[in-house]
Amino acid sequence: MTNENFRREIGQVFDDMAGSPSGALRDRVRSSLSDAPAQKGPFWIAGIAAALLAAIAVGIVVVGNFPRDRMQPVGAPASSPTASPTPPGGSPTPESNLPAFVCAGGSAVGTSPAPAVAFIDAVRTGTHPGYDRLTIEFQNGPAGNVELQIQSGTKFTNSPRGDQVTLAGDNGILVTIRGADLHTSYRGSTDLKTGYATLVEVRQVQDFEGVVQLGLGVSGAACYRAFLLSGPDRLVIDVKAQ
Amino acid sequence: MFAAAMEQRPQLLTSAEAGDANSFAAFIEPLLDPAYRLAAVMLADRPSAEDAVQEASIKAWRKLRQLRGDLTSLRPWFLSIVANECRMARRQRWWSVMKLAEVPSSQQSQEPGRMTDLQSALLTLSPEERLPLVLHFYLDLPLDEIARTLRVSPAAAKSRIYRAAKRLRSELTLEELF
Repeated sequence: MTNENFRREIGQVFDDMAGSPSGALRDRVRSSLSDAPAQKGPFWIAGIAAALLAAIAVGIVVVGNFPRDRMQPVGAPASSPTASPTPPGGSPTPESNLPAFVCAGGSAVGTSPAPAVAFIDAVRTGTHPGYDRLTIEFQNGPAGNVELQIQSGTKFTNSPRGDQVTLAGDNGILVTIRGADLHTSYRGSTDLKTGYATLVEVRQVQDFEGVVQLGLGVSGAACYRAFLLSGPDRLVIDVKAQ
Repeated sequence: MFAAAMEQRPQLLTSAEAGDANSFAAFIEPLLDPAYRLAAVMLADRPSAEDAVQEASIKAWRKLRQLRGDLTSLRPWFLSIVANECRMARRQRWWSVMKLAEVPSSQQSQEPGRMTDLQSALLTLSPEERLPLVLHFYLDLPLDEIARTLRVSPAAAKSRIYRAAKRLRSELTLEELF
């Protein structure tokens, strides 16, 4: 088929689809233009810009103050990707602002908007009076969806290989972080043996297709609370001491 | 012909830029027909196409400063606003998407055989795929205007035309199209 034949055929099909505009279209356009507000000039743009700047300034003040008043970060942020214990002197989050511990089943935490893939760049553990803490820090924004599931025993399935791994401790918590990876920015250990009384081991059991799973080995009953903090973005999981 | 018509209109543009809506209406009048045809093919719905052209005309009037008095850019500039308005119309009225799958029965019955195949094939293309075909085969725009309407490079515009055309006629070659 030549270009001309094809052009003729396709033109005919387009003609059938479109037909001709109604005779009233020109009048409609003319009439709507007469009724439309005049072009918006620089003063209007300047006004919008000023309003936007004011809104941004107010937003910065609000966002800057709001979380710091309520929650403190755990330990100092790592200067490079690490998997290290939280300094003992780190400031724990005030208890009154935290969710209750969950001791059965599971729960989910999430946020939006979230990046397509949140890069984990640090995994830290720390021990505090009443709980041991795991902090997972994100480099480019928080993961959109995190699920935690308590399980009896510490056997976890290593995905995608499918083999079983057994962590230290009596019970476990499976942490599933969707829309995240542990290999782009993270360079630390993927199996942390903490030596703490309650949270005894944290081990990566999946880092595949944007889903990161961490198995937590817990000595005694597995009770946890989980929440997200910003500046930097991080997921905090506290495991209740026995 | 379009260029000749435009050459006679700098005074209309000047008046339009000064805020005269009637001058602007007269200024874009030669573009209403191609704009309507583009919208009708993108939306596959004639009344919606006229609505889109009307709305696009108002938006063009409000954005006239962006044209910066460049008459050679007028047609791709206006058609890109129309195409964008069609995208908006489809997003705002999800039911219009359903209409795209409907081939008017009267047209089907009028065109047996291969023409019906081509028409059906065209309707299986997304509006975004139909757009470069309309600009190239129906409105006969030069490649640089197609590129400006699509807001891509000429090479990318050529590629889009070719890809969409290949979906209609797999045996077509690039050399046959340009």
